[in-house]
Amino acid sequence: MKSRKIIIRLLTIAVLVGIAAWMFVIGRGHTVYFDNKPYTSADGTVYESPYQIQVFVGGESAGKLKKGDRGMASCMGQDFYMELHITQEKGGKKTGSGISLKLPYNMDGIILNLPALLGGAPEEEYMSEFIPAAPAATEEDETVITDEFTMPLDE
Amino acid sequence: MKKKFALGSFMTRASVPLMFMIICAFCIPLSGLSPSYLINEIVTRMGRNAFLILSLLIPIMAGMGLNFGMTLGAMAGEIGLILVSDWQIVGIPGMVLAMIISVPISVLLGLFCGKILNMAKGREMITSYIMSYFMTGVYQLVVLYMMGSIIPIRHSNIKLPRGYGIRNTVSLLSMRQKLDNLWPVYINGVKIPMVTFIIIALMCLVIVWFRRTKLGQDMRAVGQDMEVARDAGINVERTRILSIIISTVLAGIGMIIYLQNLGNFATYTSHSQIGMFAIAALLVGGASVDKASVGNVFLGVILFHLMFIVAPKAGTAITGDSMIGEYFRVFVSYAVITIALIMYETAKRRNKSMEGQRLMMEQKKEEAK
Repeated sequence: MKSRKIIIRLLTIAVLVGIAAWMFVIGRGHTVYFDNKPYTSADGTVYESPYQIQVFVGGESAGKLKKGDRGMASCMGQDFYMELHITQEKGGKKTGSGISLKLPYNMDGIILNLPALLGGAPEEEYMSEFIPAAPAATEEDETVITDEFTMPLDE
Repeated sequence: MKKKFALGSFMTRASVPLMFMIICAFCIPLSGLSPSYLINEIVTRMGRNAFLILSLLIPIMAGMGLNFGMTLGAMAGEIGLILVSDWQIVGIPGMVLAMIISVPISVLLGLFCGKILNMAKGREMITSYIMSYFMTGVYQLVVLYMMGSIIPIRHSNIKLPRGYGIRNTVSLLSMRQKLDNLWPVYINGVKIPMVTFIIIALMCLVIVWFRRTKLGQDMRAVGQDMEVARDAGINVERTRILSIIISTVLAGIGMIIYLQNLGNFATYTSHSQIGMFAIAALLVGGASVDKASVGNVFLGVILFHLMFIVAPKAGTAITGDSMIGEYFRVFVSYAVITIALIMYETAKRRNKSMEGQRLMMEQKKEEAK
């Protein structure tokens, strides 16, 4: 009876740990930035940017990107799918394409250079990590309020 | 005679809800807020707060009064959310992970709280109240000094610029209302967060079911009379500890549901505020220190939060200053807890005195024989 109790408890813990691990993987959030900027690769190949790219993520528009523009979208998990509506020249015809990508788990913000991606450049060329600039420290940032009576602890 | 007594007893029990109904009836027309706005707000606050208040029912069942120690669970929930935010786990998975992280912390804190309360039998509420302040200090030590230095925190939007400690406010934008928006149903412009309500309904069913289980009946027996329960072979101390652990775990989960609705939280003050407001809402719903039901939770949320919504506007209409309404709703929260505690003590003393008189009469009768 006692061993049965221990087994049930261990199983419950194992199930909870399993669910936590699963959530850890499927719930990883990323911010994907889309650049419609010309790109020159290491071997000197130049990927020219089209006139306009409209990006759709999860059925919603993430921006109409003219040459030199950047758009962004938030997503969850590592399987990323986007639809691109590309207009090569002003007044030209739109062409659509769907692109699936595997996002790296360790990157919070990911920059995708769309001309390089569409031009068939390798992953390390069109994908890079977005590192945000650290916010400047201010006096207010350092003052920690630890109770409702607004008594600062760090004065 | 018996009927009159029952009415008197009902009036005593319902005095706090009745008082709030009168306040609300007076303030609603003055506030000028539309019925649809009020219903929308009440439904939102019901989804936000009900789970947290439900966590208070089990210790009351076990005779431990209002669990001011629920703030310990709320702290565990907040720690889970801080870690999940730093790991960038978003949406529903982020909430579930935060809940799983909060459970072992809540169990440990609940165990500690239960053991202390067993040493202070009969003074559980004041002990748990003071203990919540003590644990707030420990929480501050962990969050303000250990997070970022010992516990790795990577993101600068969470961490203080000095390199360790967590900022005053943690943003939960990545999981804001994700649970509420999973299946929203709109009726006449009123948004009903169905998934949140289903979880609350399930929790109510679990509590009703729990009262009928062996452990639930043990808790009720302990709540009625500890000595009788001990004589009946119930492990009183263990049962009391379990009731506090369950309450603390539920408070942790409830805090995560509460905060996902708000979308951010004050790192160092959210838990203490929520403990006070949850207890006040339960008392406004007609609960007492020794008796509370699921019905009290819902009536309490409606009345207490209705007062919360209309008081500032009514204050502005009466005095021209909205701050009067703000002060009013804060002091009413504390006042209602004070009134409930006075009523409980008065009833306890009255019962004791009646019992003494009964014994004296019996003694006199025996002497006369």
